[in-house]
Amino acid sequence: MAEKKSKSGDSGRPNNKRNQSMSKTLPKDKNNNKKLKNKRKRTGPRLPNALRKEVERLNPLRPSDSEGEEIDSDEAEFGNGRDVYEYEEEAPPEESRRNRRFDPVDNLEYELPDEFEDEIVSSDDEEDVGRSDDANLSDAEAEDDEGRHIRMLQEITGMPSETFQGKKRKKGDLVVSEAYPESEFNPSHNVGDGDGRITIQDLLDPLHGKAGYSKLRKRTSQMERKPMSIQAPLPKPYREKLERKVAYEQSKKDITKWEPLVKRNREAPTIYFDQDLDLGFSTVGAIASEFEPRTEFEKKIASLVHDDKVKEAHEKDGARLLELNKTSIEDEKERRDRIAKMRSLLFRHEIKQKHIKKIKSKTYHRLMKKDRAKATSAQIEMDPEAAKEQAMKQEFKRAEERMTLKHKNSSKWAKRILQRGLTTQDEGTRAAISEQLHQHALLTRKMNSMKDGSSSEESSDEYDDENSVGSDQDKENLLAKAKEKTLKVFEEDDEVPNTGVLSLPFMARGLKKKRDAAVEEARLALQEYESSSKQMEDSQGIEDTKENSMKGRMVFGAVQLQAPGANNVSKSEKTYDDSDGEDDMETRENIDGGSHSGNDMQNQVQNGSTVLHPDSETHDYSVFKSFDDIVKNPGAKTTYEVAIFASDGWRKMKGSNKETAMKKKQDLLEPASQKKDLEEASGDSDTESEGQMVDGILSSGPTQSYELPSQADLIRHAFAGDDVEEDFDKHKMEILNEENPEPEKPIVLPGWGQWTHIQQKKGLPSWMLREHENAKKTRQDALKKRKDAHLKNVIISEKVDKKAEKLHTKSLPFPFTSKDVFEQSIRMPIGPEFNPATAIGALNRPEVVKKSGTIIKPIKFEEVNPHEKAEYGNEQKHLSKKKEVGKSSKKNRAKAKN
Amino acid sequence: MEVKQEAGAPEKIKPPTKLEDSGELEIRIKKYLRGDGANLEALQDKKLRGQLTVREKLYGKSAEAAAKAEKWLMPSEGGFLEAEGIEKTWRIRQESIAREVDISSSRNQYDIVLPDLGPYTLDFTSSGRYMAAAGRKGHLAVVDMKNLSLIKEIQVRETVRDVVFLHNELFFAAAQKKYPYIYNRDGIELHCLKEHGAVLKLQFLKNHFLLASINKFGQLHYQDVTTGGMVGNFRTGLGRTDVMQVNPFNGVVALGHSGGTVTMWKPTSSAPLVKMLCHRGPVAALAFHPNGHIMATSGKERKIKIWDLRKFEVLQTLPGHANTLDFSHKGLLAAATGSFVQISGNFSESQSYSRYMTHSMAKGYQIKKLLFRPYEDVLGIAHSMGWSSILIPGSGEPNFDSWVANPFETSKQRREKEVRSLLDKLPPETIMLDPSKIGTMKPPSRKQKPTKQERESEMEAAVAAVKDMPIKKKTKGRSKPSKSAKKKQDIIVRTKRPFLEQQMKEEEALSRKKQKASEEAELPKSLQRFARKKAT
Repeated sequence: MAEKKSKSGDSGRPNNKRNQSMSKTLPKDKNNNKKLKNKRKRTGPRLPNALRKEVERLNPLRPSDSEGEEIDSDEAEFGNGRDVYEYEEEAPPEESRRNRRFDPVDNLEYELPDEFEDEIVSSDDEEDVGRSDDANLSDAEAEDDEGRHIRMLQEITGMPSETFQGKKRKKGDLVVSEAYPESEFNPSHNVGDGDGRITIQDLLDPLHGKAGYSKLRKRTSQMERKPMSIQAPLPKPYREKLERKVAYEQSKKDITKWEPLVKRNREAPTIYFDQDLDLGFSTVGAIASEFEPRTEFEKKIASLVHDDKVKEAHEKDGARLLELNKTSIEDEKERRDRIAKMRSLLFRHEIKQKHIKKIKSKTYHRLMKKDRAKATSAQIEMDPEAAKEQAMKQEFKRAEERMTLKHKNSSKWAKRILQRGLTTQDEGTRAAISEQLHQHALLTRKMNSMKDGSSSEESSDEYDDENSVGSDQDKENLLAKAKEKTLKVFEEDDEVPNTGVLSLPFMARGLKKKRDAAVEEARLALQEYESSSKQMEDSQGIEDTKENSMKGRMVFGAVQLQAPGANNVSKSEKTYDDSDGEDDMETRENIDGGSHSGNDMQNQVQNGSTVLHPDSETHDYSVFKSFDDIVKNPGAKTTYEVAIFASDGWRKMKGSNKETAMKKKQDLLEPASQKKDLEEASGDSDTESEGQMVDGILSSGPTQSYELPSQADLIRHAFAGDDVEEDFDKHKMEILNEENPEPEKPIVLPGWGQWTHIQQKKGLPSWMLREHENAKKTRQDALKKRKDAHLKNVIISEKVDKKAEKLHTKSLPFPFTSKDVFEQSIRMPIGPEFNPATAIGALNRPEVVKKSGTIIKPIKFEEVNPHEKAEYGNEQKHLSKKKEVGKSSKKNRAKAKN
Repeated sequence: MEVKQEAGAPEKIKPPTKLEDSGELEIRIKKYLRGDGANLEALQDKKLRGQLTVREKLYGKSAEAAAKAEKWLMPSEGGFLEAEGIEKTWRIRQESIAREVDISSSRNQYDIVLPDLGPYTLDFTSSGRYMAAAGRKGHLAVVDMKNLSLIKEIQVRETVRDVVFLHNELFFAAAQKKYPYIYNRDGIELHCLKEHGAVLKLQFLKNHFLLASINKFGQLHYQDVTTGGMVGNFRTGLGRTDVMQVNPFNGVVALGHSGGTVTMWKPTSSAPLVKMLCHRGPVAALAFHPNGHIMATSGKERKIKIWDLRKFEVLQTLPGHANTLDFSHKGLLAAATGSFVQISGNFSESQSYSRYMTHSMAKGYQIKKLLFRPYEDVLGIAHSMGWSSILIPGSGEPNFDSWVANPFETSKQRREKEVRSLLDKLPPETIMLDPSKIGTMKPPSRKQKPTKQERESEMEAAVAAVKDMPIKKKTKGRSKPSKSAKKKQDIIVRTKRPFLEQQMKEEEALSRKKQKASEEAELPKSLQRFARKKAT
């Protein structure tokens, strides 16, 4: 019992608190309590729920229940129950507990909450007083029990009762048992009713004092106070849709903060993406300052450079540096000797090299070459590196040969030889050809051994030496050689053996015959050589003459004419020299030979030039002289000569100053006659011009005089184009008709409707007339639209120039909708020729400025005033920003283009 | 050769006037803005409007910077003669001018007398540094005008009718008896342009690198001197003429004809761009103002006319005869006949040209050609006895742009400029009457509606094409002759329909128009208010 009481005392306070918070429920509870007290008496056996409801339906509610307590199901049920079983006064024996036949603990679990509630309610009702009452009541009972118990303990232990009492008090705090003794004053209606319902309160109470309890309680009370029906949850898709909507609203709100930023970027004519790139050191000094000596040498240098003494000396006037620079005499001497030695060595070497260079002996060079080859081969054997190099060289040569096929009879010489047939060639040529082929084979063969290659290389080198001069030179050389050989044959032939078998007459005859044949052959061969060599010469000569003829037109003055002639002569001489150098025989033959066309030409030209030379000189002189004369006599100028321009010809009237004129004439006549000579001498190409010139000069003779045109002539001339305007109008009409042809006049087709005379009477059908009228009207419109419609004396062509069409835009470019706006937008040129340098950059700046390699970072949020007028003087802004960036460390300010 | 200097009397040369800064600047800015911008408020497209506003602002800045640059970089202003009291500017003689000017300027007054080699003709390079002179009788000379030294002189020994410098002083073309030739500065003949024939007059288009010539038979030739290709070859059909001038503004070549007409040509069209009747007599001379808007012509009927080429109307008619005409950089017009030179200018605000200076050569000298020396106040006179040079204050542009024409050009700069100008060479099709129209919208092609016959023939062709189409064989009586005939008919009708519909539409539109016109015409003014208002 004591435990119960303590429990109630404990729980009283929080309940109290609760009630304070919800003032509205208070009176209800009060009622409850009273009722409960009454109820206690009237409890009866519990009916099943269904039955009770039935009963309730039958019996209308009592006025006592009209307090609107139906809401509280517990209460209502309770009330009903009471009504129904009012007659049954007696409580069941186990309920009444008076007799204590039943174990009270059995009921504990069920009763506790209800009792607590009740107890709480009661305590609530009368605040302190009520509770004290209750407490008194319960205490009285409990004291009864305790008293007995204590007494019993006293008796057993023989100790004073106070000790036990204190102990019990302490215990009472912990033990939880039945709250109240079962009595009619303390009814446990639930048990009595048999109604085992659990209210929320019941469930809450054990949590009393735990964290979050108050919150929970509040919620429940709220729910009680404002009871509302909870709807069934929405189907999933709807729920999700709602969720999405809410999420959208939320994110929309989030995103709007970017709007001004994005707008600014969109409106900006140029967006810059550049970071300040750290390029490292910018100056040499910066690099030098960072230098740290690592190697030993560097350290040594550094120690010297950073030597205190030296530094000090530098910082001062530098005079001490001289002192530091001192060297001993011995050192200097040694140095000088060393240098002298080196110089002398160098000199000797140089001399030696010069000497070697001068040596012309072929054998010497061959030997040297061999030595070199040996050395290289030795080196190849010794040095793998050199061997590799050699192999590379060899391979390169091979490749080159395969590419160019230089030795595959592709040269001009070889081709010519082959064309003529190898069989007709002599031994040497054939040998040369075969040698070349061999060379080719050697070069193109895949190399296996190094030695073979080297030998072939050597031979090829030699060969190259022979052949490198050029095909023409080659030919000459060959021819010369062949000739020499044949001549040798001649010489050999001369010596006849006097003794032996060969001296026998028939043998001698046979020999002679043979020799004759051989001589004949040799002669033929010689002739062939000569002819071929001649041909070569001729071709050269022709070239020369060609050049001369090309220059033939460039005859402005005699001086220029002379120049090519002289040139020619010198050239011909040169060619002779060349040939001399080659072979004497050849020149001799050449001169003797029948075809000397080139030579003749040259002679001719030479003659011509010799003829021309004095003439031209004198002519020039005369011209200048005449000029000089004029300059000398400025006084005569005013009354000199009057020249009047008439049609095309020039006539000169004699001035008053006859003397000077005569003098001049003489001067002029002289060159003119000379010029005639010149004309004859020079080629026929210039005849017309010179003739004209001669005419011009001759026409300056004194005999001619200017005739004034007659008056009639003048008038005719003046009014030549009198009907000019009519002509022009006619012409204009023609052009207009061409561009806009006049519509055809409606005509009656012969035979159509004519036999009835109806059409004749009616005239043309109306549709025809209408059509004609329309056509006329369109033509008039077109004419009116012409630019020259109002200009009487002007025809402006309306023809479309197809070539110029590409200079116009075909259609309006996209954002433009009006032609005027477009054309006005392009009226200003933006090139550097038309704008000052300060404006070009801004005018031509691209939409995005970005250094290559710059990473474009995603856009970063920054506060932008949305009402701020977008800045277009972007450059300055940009610059300022740059500075800022420079100051505020390496903050990335890349703006993203959206 | 002798340089003869004349001595003269004093006269005042007006100092450059100082205008108010702000107003002047505004005028200059307006000049550099090249017209007004579009009305951006009316634009619907916001984005475009924004972009265009930015552009306009940039243009404004650029124009302002240019105006300021002009103010500071072009300090010298040309002066001109100003008469005091009863003085007249045209009474002032060269001698009196020579007394006033500095030595270097007075060196520009001289006569070169070369009586033998016929009447001369001249040409200056664009910088005015070099002069080419050609005597009728084959004398060709290139002279450095800065130090008056003869660079080269050759005698071609045939008639020379004209000489013209190509893009720089290194090359010049001379129209000789049968063909024009191109020589270099050293007098070496580089090309003979046989295709041109016997050329009477040569002109060089500097921006297009075209050599234009008119020959004896009235054929106009354009040759590209960079590639050597013949760009244009047109028969003018208006007879022999030696009056030819290039409009420096647009590169259009103008020819003056004996019928009093002036034709303007471009190398890509065989018909003249413009043909205008300028004079009743033959056209004797022709000149263009450097800005390209003003043309001066002189006719044999003793009239000199000044034309506005934007409207093709006469601005002014001056009495007198001129064998040769030339405009200076500053717009002075020089005209010469016989041995008398007259220079007129429009110094007053009115556009009319009035007499400014006169000069008469020695009696008997027949002036062949007048040419103002660029960037100098000098007029070159080529006449039958050589050439002369006189001072005309206020004729030349005082500030030269060294990127355009530099009188003090070094050879390196010349080379540089040659390359640059070749890179900037304009194609021949860019020659047109209004080159500022390049890049704008293509003018609406005056596409003529097809005539009725054409339309009908088109329709017939379509019908014929359909008729010939084979009809698919179908089964079950669907390819019966009656059915197939019907089908064919159907197809024909279908093909005809669009043509007919179009025709109807046009007719309808036309009739409506006509009705409208007739209505308007019919009602007298007083009754028009009773006319039924059309619901639009």
